[in-house]
Amino acid sequence: MDEPVISLRDVGICFSKNRKRRRSLRDLVLHGSPAPKSGEFWPFRHVNLDIQRGETIGVVGRNGQGKSTLLSLIAGVLLPDEGRVTVRDGVAPLIAITGGFESELSARENIYLVSQLHGMTPAEIDEEFDDIVEFSEVGEFLDTPFKHFSSGMKVRLAFSVVSRLDEPILLIDEVLAVGDKAFRNKCYARIESLLAGGDTTLFLVSHSATHLKRFCKRGIYLLDGEIRADGPIDDVIRQYEIDTDTLDEDLADSDI
Amino acid sequence: MTTGSPRGVSLHGRIGGFTTDPSHVGPIVRARRVWDYRRILWVLIKRDLKVRYSDSVLGYVWTVLEPLLMSLVYWFIFTKLFFRGDPRYTNPYIVFLLSGQLAWYWFNGSITGTMKSLLGEAQMVRSTNVPRELWVLRTIMSKATEFIFSLPVLIAFMLYYRPHINREILYWPLAFLLEWILLVGFGLILAPVTVLVRDVDRVVRIVLRVLFYASPVLYSVNQGRVEKLAWFYTLNPIAGILDLFRVGIFPLEMDRNRVMVSCIETVLIFVVGIFVFARLERQVLKEI
Repeated sequence: MDEPVISLRDVGICFSKNRKRRRSLRDLVLHGSPAPKSGEFWPFRHVNLDIQRGETIGVVGRNGQGKSTLLSLIAGVLLPDEGRVTVRDGVAPLIAITGGFESELSARENIYLVSQLHGMTPAEIDEEFDDIVEFSEVGEFLDTPFKHFSSGMKVRLAFSVVSRLDEPILLIDEVLAVGDKAFRNKCYARIESLLAGGDTTLFLVSHSATHLKRFCKRGIYLLDGEIRADGPIDDVIRQYEIDTDTLDEDLADSDI
Repeated sequence: MTTGSPRGVSLHGRIGGFTTDPSHVGPIVRARRVWDYRRILWVLIKRDLKVRYSDSVLGYVWTVLEPLLMSLVYWFIFTKLFFRGDPRYTNPYIVFLLSGQLAWYWFNGSITGTMKSLLGEAQMVRSTNVPRELWVLRTIMSKATEFIFSLPVLIAFMLYYRPHINREILYWPLAFLLEWILLVGFGLILAPVTVLVRDVDRVVRIVLRVLFYASPVLYSVNQGRVEKLAWFYTLNPIAGILDLFRVGIFPLEMDRNRVMVSCIETVLIFVVGIFVFARLERQVLKEI
């Protein structure tokens, strides 16, 4: 078997529960982490996970069970307090996708800026530019400052840019809850075409069983800071539904 | 503690992959990763300059207006109102003032800027896996460019007063490099610390105001009356850097000890900065 494209070894991450904690800078600098306190909260701990190239993984779990944290760790925008995360390919993170966009700059300038921040070269962007604009359906507002965009338009533009990154690993975190149905369907089609080659590794966080089953073969169920179940997506969803007493209902009405 | 990719550059000629393996997180790996991302650094600097120069009518004027106006004010106060000590050391005074002021504005602007460099880009920091040092470097380099762009004002005054220029002017690039390294060191400390302890911002602002008068920007250390404080100026890293900036025109400003101590302190702060930034990064990503 190949080396896994994503591997988590005994990974744990710890957040502080209370806002009013007394942070000791001295502890931070000397030990790299604050001294242990009672208010600690581990979204997960001792997690081991190996993902092979081309696997499609659906992540389920109730709110606050660490789904987004897991994706952030794989995207490299959070670092574990214990264990280690290794990712052996480029990642296109569709997490908080409007994040890199600058509100003062126009849509056109933002397309270039964000694509470059994610590693594309200007020449590559020139090539993709028309496709990005067409997909986002914001063609007539190309020179409008990003801050004047509606939230739906922002997500559309952001999805268009980030989904063009053409990276081998795709992380999707319920980003498509915004946007109208027609655009969402376009996004699903886009995700499917990205997956069509069989080389793209997908991580999808969703509450919709329909979407999970549509895009993913393997499922991971997070509960109480551990991987409660890991296996074929149908089995994992079934287990989740039994645990949460939602068997025979769709997990939620919201899309992805 | 993200580090260089085990595979180098991805299929598309981009940078792909990373590991948080502690045996791969030394300063050299981190530096190499910053180097890998230099193109993105350049994109960010260009964007800053664009916002600063092309999107405002008075773009360039804003860069030089404040240091120039303040220099004129000090020039008026200390040549027309108060006796500023032996003028031998500081004539032509406006050239003396500007050469110090411009370097100080770069220092001041970078320090206040780096404290916001992570906080102000919180969204970007949270959503893109570029080396986090880049946000600090970007602030300092944008300010460095503004500093370079403001130099014609100083040159204009030099052409008017035609002071004697000696070959120590060749120290100028060294002064620039030293100030740059010092700022990167301070920036790498202040950017993450400000995220974790927000009050730092206010404290540093006050310290900067005091430091302005405690550094020989408006006056020369040689102007008597401060002999007993000579040790203080020797310890102040900015004093040595200002020496090097000025020595080409004001040969008496140079003091070997001051410069040596400045160099040592600068390197020390730089090393501490690299260490502190790497230590605090994990916590910063959670808090931002």
